[in-house]
Amino acid sequence: MAEKKELYLGYTTDKAVTPFFQEFLEHLDEERLMKSVCTSCGEEYLPPRQHCQKCLSEAKLTEMTEREAKLYSYVIVDFAPETLSSKQPYVVAIGEFPSGLKLTAHITNLTDMPTVGMPLKLGFAKEGEGKMITYRWLV
Amino acid sequence: MARRVAVVAGGHSKFGKRYDATMRELTAEAYKPIFDEGITQDKIDASILSYAASQFTGQGAGSALMADYIGLQNKPHLRCESACATGTASLRAAWGMVASGLYDVMLVLGVEQMNRVSSATATEYMSRAGDMRWEYPFGVSFPAFYALMASRYMSEYNMPHDVLAKIAVKSHHYGAQNPKAHLPKEITFEEANNAIPICRPLNLYDCSLITDGAAGVVIAAEDRVKEFTDRPMWIKGIGAGASENMIQDRPSLTSIPGAKYAAKAAYKMAGLEPKDMDMAEVHDCFTIAELIAYEDCGFAEPGKGREIVENKDNYHDGRIPVNCDGGLKSKGHPLGATGISMTYEVLKQMRGEADKPSRQINDVKHGFVHNVGQSGQFVNCFIYERGW
Repeated sequence: MAEKKELYLGYTTDKAVTPFFQEFLEHLDEERLMKSVCTSCGEEYLPPRQHCQKCLSEAKLTEMTEREAKLYSYVIVDFAPETLSSKQPYVVAIGEFPSGLKLTAHITNLTDMPTVGMPLKLGFAKEGEGKMITYRWLV
Repeated sequence: MARRVAVVAGGHSKFGKRYDATMRELTAEAYKPIFDEGITQDKIDASILSYAASQFTGQGAGSALMADYIGLQNKPHLRCESACATGTASLRAAWGMVASGLYDVMLVLGVEQMNRVSSATATEYMSRAGDMRWEYPFGVSFPAFYALMASRYMSEYNMPHDVLAKIAVKSHHYGAQNPKAHLPKEITFEEANNAIPICRPLNLYDCSLITDGAAGVVIAAEDRVKEFTDRPMWIKGIGAGASENMIQDRPSLTSIPGAKYAAKAAYKMAGLEPKDMDMAEVHDCFTIAELIAYEDCGFAEPGKGREIVENKDNYHDGRIPVNCDGGLKSKGHPLGATGISMTYEVLKQMRGEADKPSRQINDVKHGFVHNVGQSGQFVNCFIYERGW
């Protein structure tokens, strides 16, 4: 069995890694971002959830094929929560894919101020002490 | 048929960095003026403690400690929690208990002690109210959630930061006249517009304070009201709403869906409209939150909240005076006490007992309270009516 992984930049206390989340992280390790799709009604979720919000049926992990998005909103965090203090300032962005699915992640390669509506690309990188792969936005 | 319920008394501690007190002394400070008005422990049937975040002090089961400290050790009590909307959530619960006939007289006490940890640790604790798996690891702090709303609002409506700075100037103008306020000082527009960034586009003066404090109110059933006061403030309307947990899942970031719903429900129950309100206490945890509240509460059309700011309609002598006690921004924001403090302020204004004429709103018949938890996951709106 593969070593259990956690998605984190700084620190998270949500350490209860379920089989569903473990599978998500294993895909992420191979630079695949997974959404989930309800096996009953077809509703899609990003980030993925194991149970459909509408009919509570099982939702299955399915690869996101969309790679390009637009910046829906952003914040430059100048004063961070304690566990991310060493990383400040950092930029958190909500990106919106053409399908309407959204994703919250850092933008890590900005050289200028972000603007709402600017194009974003999905990227992956190793982060933190555990060198876990995580997803990110790139401009 | 539910019985009518009124707020009959209120008390308020000094807000601030209260290193001279712990939660128990703060609670006593809020109850003492109520006791002095004759609402002694024997008159109270039960209490609710509005206490949002036990991680700040480590004190669990807070309602037992507080009830015991103020002499209510033999009266039923419970603790209520709905993040920053805990105060009005407690009042909503208490209203139900009194309106239903379970109790006649209840004390609702709000308290929070937040300054025994550093600002970074406090920011850490509050950010854990976000989704621990999908938001928190990216360091989306409490100000960051509102900054995400601000970025989107400023872009959609092409609004400069100046408008937000003017809200901060107004809050401090009134906080400076409130002896209970945490940071009672005037600030200039330049100071407010150019302060150090916290979560851009929000700066230091866009953010509310990390505050210690307590506030309490007593509510009573209509057939008992006369025992306590000839100036009751009737609870005329209550509305509650909720919004998507992850902020990215909201249909819009220029409005808080749960707040719009809560306000509408409160107006419907009261049979009143926004134009009938003579004052409002809104949840200005950040300046952008106050601006959005003008729109969600129906005082301005979507995208037009800035007109209230630019016309100074939100001042004590304006069309819809808002937060003339300094708001969360200058009076302070001890999470569990905030919704109770808002209610206390409406009672004081209605009774003509604001501390100074320069912040007394004239002839308040109807007052509105808008109290938001987290970034909109919990919202309670109350409409109060003068009963004399």
